Order: sequence, then C-alpha cells, then structure tokens
Amino acid sequence: MFGVAARSALSLDLGLGRYVLTLIRNAAAAGSLARSCIKALRYRRVYLPLTFTQVWDIGVSSIPLVLLVAMISGAVTSEQSGYQYNVGTMPASITGMVVTASVLTELGPVVTALVLVGRVGARIGSELATMVVSEQVYAVRSTGRDPVLYLALPRILAGALAVPALVMIADAGGMLAGLGLAVARQPITVADFLEGARSYFYPFVLWFSLIKGLLFGVCITFTACLVGLRAEGGAAGVGRATTSSVVASTVIVMVGDLVLVRLLGVFK
Amino acid sequence: MSIQIDHVTKRFGSQAVLRSVNLTVPGERTLVLLGPSGAGKSVLLKIVAGLLEPEEGDVQVDGVSIFDAPERAVAAVRRRTGLVFQYSALFDSLTAAENIQFGLDDGLARAPSPELRARVEETMSWVNLEPEAATKYPAELSGGMQKRVAIARAIAGGQRYVLYDEPTAGLDPVNAEAVAQLIRRLQRELGVTSLVVTHDLDLAGRVADTVALLDGGRIQVEVPACYLDSIDHPLIQVRRRARPLHVA
Repeated sequence: MFGVAARSALSLDLGLGRYVLTLIRNAAAAGSLARSCIKALRYRRVYLPLTFTQVWDIGVSSIPLVLLVAMISGAVTSEQSGYQYNVGTMPASITGMVVTASVLTELGPVVTALVLVGRVGARIGSELATMVVSEQVYAVRSTGRDPVLYLALPRILAGALAVPALVMIADAGGMLAGLGLAVARQPITVADFLEGARSYFYPFVLWFSLIKGLLFGVCITFTACLVGLRAEGGAAGVGRATTSSVVASTVIVMVGDLVLVRLLGVFK
Repeated sequence: MSIQIDHVTKRFGSQAVLRSVNLTVPGERTLVLLGPSGAGKSVLLKIVAGLLEPEEGDVQVDGVSIFDAPERAVAAVRRRTGLVFQYSALFDSLTAAENIQFGLDDGLARAPSPELRARVEETMSWVNLEPEAATKYPAELSGGMQKRVAIARAIAGGQRYVLYDEPTAGLDPVNAEAVAQLIRRLQRELGVTSLVVTHDLDLAGRVADTVALLDGGRIQVEVPACYLDSIDHPLIQVRRRARPLHVA
C-alpha cells in the first residue's frame, strides 16, 4: 500500500519535474528567438519585401473569413442583447451600447485572433515544421543565412501589421451587422442604436482594440514560428507542431485577453 | 585548400554517434565516406557544414576553424562551401531558377540582374538542366532533376567545397550515373573539393579518390579508392559477393 503510494508520488514528482523542465526549455527557446529577431531587425532590405508578401497572406486573404465571423458575432450580440434586455422595458439605446462595448473591447479583437490562430497560426506552424523536417531550414543555414531573418521575422512583423488592421475591419463589420439586425428585428431606430453606441464610446476603446490586435498578432505568429522551427521528426512532427501552435496560441490569446482587460479599467 | 576534421565527437543524449573522428579531404580531391545506415555519416557532414556543433573537436576549412574563427571568416568559408541534401531540400515556394539564385544572392530580387540570370542559366546548363525547368517548382520536377537543381544551388556561387549527403538516394541507375558524372566533372573541371557521404558503393567506386569507412562512431579504414574492393567490412563484403565493384 505504502509502496504504491510512494511510487505514485514519485511518478507525479517526475511528471511535474518534466513539465517544469519543458516549460523552462520553451521559455529559453522563446527568449532566444526574440533575441534573434531583434538582432535581425537591422537587415531591412531582406525582411521588408518578405514582410509585405506575408502581410498579403496573413492579412488581405484573411479579410473575408474575419469579416464573416465578426459580422455573425455582432449580429448574435445584437439579437441576444435585444432578447436579454427585453426591448420595450429598457431604453431603446441599450442594444447599441451593448453591441459597441462587446464588439470593440472583446469580440472584434478576440474573435479575429481566434480565427487567425486557426487560419494563420496553424499554417505558419506546419509550413515551418515542414521546412525543418525536409531540411529546407538547414538549406537556408548552409548558405550562411539566418532562418530567423528569412522565415520568422517577416511573419512576426506581418502579424503585427496585419492583425490590428483586421481587428479594425472586424470591429466595423461587427458593429454594422449588430446595427442592421437590431433595426430589422427590434423596435428601435438607427438613431437609438447610435445614441447607445455614443454613450459607451470613448477614444481609448478604439486604441484598446488596436493594442489587443497588435499583441495578439505578435503572439500568434511568434508562437507559430517558435513551434514550427523547433519541430522534430517527420510527418508526425509536423502534425504535433501544428497542434501545438494552435493550442499554445489559443491559450496565450485567452490569457492575454484576461490580462489586458485590466488595462481598460486603468485608462477608462 | 582542404577540409580537416580533428577529433570530432558528437553525442545525442547519452549516445555518442561520433567518437574522436579524424579525417582530411585534400584540396581538389573527392573523399567518399561510407558506412552502414545510422553510422553517423550525415551527422559528420552537417558538422562539417557548420549546421551541428560537436561536443569536442574542430573542423577547419581552408585553415579556418568553423566553430572558433570570427563570424566574418566563418561566413566567408560558408560562401565557399555548398551542401547537397539527401532529399534535395529545395524551397517549395521558389522555382528551380529561384532556388539556384538563392545560392547566389538572397534570392529576393524580383527581377534578377542580367549577370545573375546568365549565371543561373550557365549553372543550369552545367548540371544538364533544360532551360524549360527554370520556371518549374520543385513539386513539378522529377527526383533526378531536383537533385541536379540542388547541386546547381550548391555550386552556383563558385563554391570550392561541395558536401554531398547521399546524392544518389532514391534515384534510378541512369540518374545516379548522371549525378556521379557531375561530381567527377566538378572536381576535374572546376577543381571542387568534395566530401561525399553515401552507402552506394557503385557511386563510391566512380567518384572517389579516397574512401573512408565510418562505423561504430569511428573511422575504421581510409584507403585510396583503388583499394575499395579490399576493405574488410561486412558492408563491402556483402556488395562484393553480389558483383565486383567498378572503380573508375
């Protein structure tokens, strides 16, 4: 009995030790990638053209999906708030207020980030992992070039540039869809909705949305690059890297959201 | 002009893959490193290319230590060294010409200069690639053509040293023969110093000046190519029983 308990405790201890070790290794790798990116920032001639290509891949081609998901989120929020607040007993402007608050502070940035985790994070993770396992990253290094400069930095910078822009598009799309559905389905006018929106809105909310977009963009692309460049093994390794990229980015976005919400309170 | 491998030891975890390996590839010569699968041949090649760092020992190319010399000197050595990977490792998103161009500049120029284009065309003709292959992506090329693009990428910058990792792996005999001829031509006509890692004894017989056999993490034997047939090792004996080796 005692032996079983001791073995269980030991295996738990070993498991925990391994987990902590993995965490430390990942943190060290993240630090190393960040340092390499900062060092590579002086080679603008190399990374700028590659960054613009990535902005197209990450940003422009994501617009339809981000817009669709943001519009659905805005519409659902509008419908839900109309239902929850039982329009008629509450001020008619309540829907505009709720939609504005929800879309600008949460839905716009977070839904965009989660869409991009699946669309962009998974793609970058699997692309770089494939390059690692097929020795293409070695091929870059064998020519005396830095894979971080050619492969990681342009993707991370593109994330930092494209995601805030996508968040703005998502914010606009979500608001418009919320307005459209509110006017169509609830006994309120455009003026009622806008009055509610104005009563909530203050300039920092827009900045807050942008800051979230910027940080989420960097986090998603950085995590995907980190995981992809550390892939090992063949097809299974690529699969693991893709899954890890999505899981890690999702957790980082959600935890980041939790931390950033305090910022809104500070600047309100 | 030589590649000097001094007491190189490499471990993965607790397993020592290479144990104090010493080897010299003289200038303008081809050394073929033979050995059974898993002997550490490719690991040694990656160490020579500077892609892996040994726990002990050093590698000197042109007298420059690729692990201890200043960054600038190492970068210069790397520019003079080309590496041909086992499965070619061509960049999927670039065409054959752009892959070769990557060996020349950073491969980023949207419109390469006439000189650069001429150099790419010249290199392509050197490796017997048709001009039509230039605009094709790696997925559209046969295995033999991919290998030739990989060799072209490795020599496009006028590299003096070329490292080959299983250059005939996965190729049919005709393409394998073409690659062997190419390795030989590069040495004879351009004075390239080559280190070829393979377990293809036919290839070894055709291209080697010197043959070394790596097994158990150590160089077991190093002989001139004409004595390849006399090496007393199961890898050679099995092959010898099948049919006599052809030595060029």
